[in-house]
Amino acid sequence: MFSLPAGYAPKNAITHLNGRESNAVLAFQRLDLAPCATMQADISSKVEEARVDMADMKVESKPVELLTSVGSCVAICLHDSIHKCGGLAHIMLPTSAVGLQEPLPSKFANTAVPALAKAIREISGKEARLSAKIAGGANMFANLKVDSLDIGAKNVKAVRASLVEHKIRLVGEDVGGLHGRRVSFNVASGVTIVRRYTGEIKEL
Amino acid sequence: MKNKSDTKEAPTISDDQEIDLSILLELGSIGAGHAATALSDVLQQPILIDVPKIHNVQAHLIPKFYNQHETSTTAVYLQLTDTYGCDILLMFEVTEAKKIAAMMTFASSIEELDPNMETSAINELTNILIGSFLTAISDFLGITLLPTIPQSTTDSFDAIIDSFLIRQSLLSENALIFETRFKRQGEDAKCILMIFPSRDLKELLAQKSKALIKI
Repeated sequence: MFSLPAGYAPKNAITHLNGRESNAVLAFQRLDLAPCATMQADISSKVEEARVDMADMKVESKPVELLTSVGSCVAICLHDSIHKCGGLAHIMLPTSAVGLQEPLPSKFANTAVPALAKAIREISGKEARLSAKIAGGANMFANLKVDSLDIGAKNVKAVRASLVEHKIRLVGEDVGGLHGRRVSFNVASGVTIVRRYTGEIKEL
Repeated sequence: MKNKSDTKEAPTISDDQEIDLSILLELGSIGAGHAATALSDVLQQPILIDVPKIHNVQAHLIPKFYNQHETSTTAVYLQLTDTYGCDILLMFEVTEAKKIAAMMTFASSIEELDPNMETSAINELTNILIGSFLTAISDFLGITLLPTIPQSTTDSFDAIIDSFLIRQSLLSENALIFETRFKRQGEDAKCILMIFPSRDLKELLAQKSKALIKI
């Protein structure tokens, strides 16, 4: 796996997935660019895709599909239904109150939500109608804990609180569980497809 | 004036850090050598190790650095059972984990392998590998390092990594990763051992080694 070109999953990994996964994934050799579900296949093949890294965020006004993979982190997708634009932030931690120097706003739940909303409002003007969808916050290893708390659950709680604080409606979520998720967010339509590692595909 | 003293102080700190890092790297190399021998004993075939590396980079840049976003990975996770925080992560490509487990359980092919048996074999292998790794360091420095019971999961590379980086980024902006790769002869490196020592542990190891070699 460590010498493959970027984005290519080893063939065996696909066979491994096939055992558990629906037919939707069967056809795609390149996991990275594989559309998340068959219903999205025809659209995704034309739509440009961009990966959002950890503790990063991207805001787009063009019809782009934003992609990210989350484990205990949370992906926050904000969509403006008036101007058909939106953004995705991949947060790592609940709050920035840890006393770190030069914190990245997109790293923390409490700073990422306002930063993302502000960036979208800069594109769409003041009258944006924002709605949020979130995914992630898994607890991958039962004994991997921070202060004896499940960090995934803490992240989700902090994101929800931050959305309430900034009066953004939460319209869909897929959180918790034991496995990672691949999130693809269509900025234009606001459709968010979440594929769990176990193969379940969910549209938010 | 302030600026001057800052520039004077900066290099000495980084020099110190550099010494600390090379000590860690050396310790890691000793451990990795022993671990490779243990793995080779278990599998009854030669095991090669890549030159170990230490990455001291901003935590959130690491998934980008490995660029293995959706690759299916079997990971085993351990911690050290003392006050010094340390996360140990052993990662295999999914089929490599199956192959090794099949060899260990005398299954004739990976299709025949029972999933529970596979998990158990991989956990056991990790115990052996990490055990010999830590014993080598313990013996060298005269301190006790005991790991917890291993726990394994199979998931995408990024999802596994991000859970660990969360813990690292709680403590500091930078993540310190010791990395070494094991491979069977004639194959690509399909097994990565990653160790995320806390600052406390790093300081302890550096201090102990310095006392030993009298820097």
